[in-house]
Amino acid sequence: MQKGEMFLGWSTKEDIRKRGGSGGLVTSVLAAALDKKLVDSVVVLKKINDFEAVPVITSDVNEVLNSAGSLHSVPSNFAKLIANKNLKVALPAKGCDVRGIIEQGKRNTIKLDNTFIIGLNCGGSMHPTVTREMLEVMYKIRPEDVHGEEIEKGKLIFETKDGKEHAITIDELEEKGYGRRESCRYCTIKIPNNADLACGNWGVTGELAGKATFVEVNSEKGAELLQNAVDAGYVQIQKPDEKGIAARARIKGAMEGLSRKWKEKVFIPMDNRLEYFRKELENCIDCGACKTVCPTCSCGDVSKCTEFHYRGDAYKMSMYHLVRFLHLADSCIGCGQCTDVCPVDIPLTRLYRRFANPVQEELKYEPGMDLRRPPYFEVKLND
Amino acid sequence: MSAEAWEPKIVAFCCNWCSYGGADSAGMGRFQQPPSTRIIRVMCSGRIDPLHVFNAFLEGADAVLVTGCHIGDCHYVNGNDKTKIKYKFLESVVRELGIEKERLQLNWISASEGEKFASFIRDVTEQIKKLGPSPLKPEGVS
Repeated sequence: MQKGEMFLGWSTKEDIRKRGGSGGLVTSVLAAALDKKLVDSVVVLKKINDFEAVPVITSDVNEVLNSAGSLHSVPSNFAKLIANKNLKVALPAKGCDVRGIIEQGKRNTIKLDNTFIIGLNCGGSMHPTVTREMLEVMYKIRPEDVHGEEIEKGKLIFETKDGKEHAITIDELEEKGYGRRESCRYCTIKIPNNADLACGNWGVTGELAGKATFVEVNSEKGAELLQNAVDAGYVQIQKPDEKGIAARARIKGAMEGLSRKWKEKVFIPMDNRLEYFRKELENCIDCGACKTVCPTCSCGDVSKCTEFHYRGDAYKMSMYHLVRFLHLADSCIGCGQCTDVCPVDIPLTRLYRRFANPVQEELKYEPGMDLRRPPYFEVKLND
Repeated sequence: MSAEAWEPKIVAFCCNWCSYGGADSAGMGRFQQPPSTRIIRVMCSGRIDPLHVFNAFLEGADAVLVTGCHIGDCHYVNGNDKTKIKYKFLESVVRELGIEKERLQLNWISASEGEKFASFIRDVTEQIKKLGPSPLKPEGVS
């Protein structure tokens, strides 16, 4: 098995195939890594209900197997969870989790050599609270009655306990302000080629559709991880056909095109920007939650943004936000965590991206996509 | 206060080895310059943290100047290379924030360039007088 190879795979365990999404490959790879001592721990999402789950670090193979199944409305980010813990860990990760983990790796809080990242294709995730509201307003069903959900052909489908399916197109939902989180709409990392493995159901065609996962091996570590799972008898793999590979590339291209359109729609050039930023930030209560969840922030409790900011300042802009704007100009990965946690609903990701977009475009730097040093620290003597 | 009498407040960060010397020789050579600048001496322009610039703006500066040795002449070998990269980010953030580009300027001035320093201050003061007070100036600060 080599870097760049692609496979179709599924779990050998009937139970996991049934409960897990797309053949339960990811669950099985994680379980195999833990079982064969490739890693000491695994991060899984522990389900509370259909809309909520908490990420936990576990060393129990059964707990990993029990976590099988996918959730679309849990916008968690694992980067901060495994930072500063010195773990030998394997974890599933969306594009933004992977970017967060790599950024933390650059800042020496995660040892990337000891971290096995299983990337998951991601077209976007939803906010649990918004999802509940959407179910009541748009679908006219009670959130408690929901049994399962899936995204198919641009439609978001909810299945209720009485077996009925309710489908509305994502475009229609997003027009009304529901659907995917805003940062997901303009995110262009749909297939995480920066992770060790990139897994997803795109490109699985024919009779295997819905029963297998398409895996791309992106690194030596990824090959080791997948080979381990095959050798341990946890998963079965086969080569994908040309049609599947082409279909996967087509979906990726279409999704990225949509994202770029959204990006233009969200970031309209404007005058009076200072007034805009002041207006958006006027409700800030200084709770610091946006910094706490930020997957690229690694300063810890004592940091420049908080230590030079005094709540009694009569300044027109808060020093905290100015420092955050500057720090995130080169490191913002646009994961949307800050907007999710903000108790007064400031669209922080949109504000941060306004500063990050021009800098990152000019310097051709995409944080979290490779191991390139952040340009802020890239000082060359002969430039 | 009438518009004519208004004098902008300009904070100039000068490095100990070059631009501060430049300011010195501007005085020594009797080059005329408006009394609008407040000079803050730092050992190297690489020491100037974007935080210092933000703080100057928030406290009521109408413009902030970042000055240092010419590239290649840094007393600390590559201090001003670091200034350059920091300034790039700072500039981008300040622009994006909606503050006019004249309010933040970078210039390399050596210890012997007294006239360059004086004319730089004259130019900036003229530009800022046209723009008026900074939008970030706190209430009650002239």
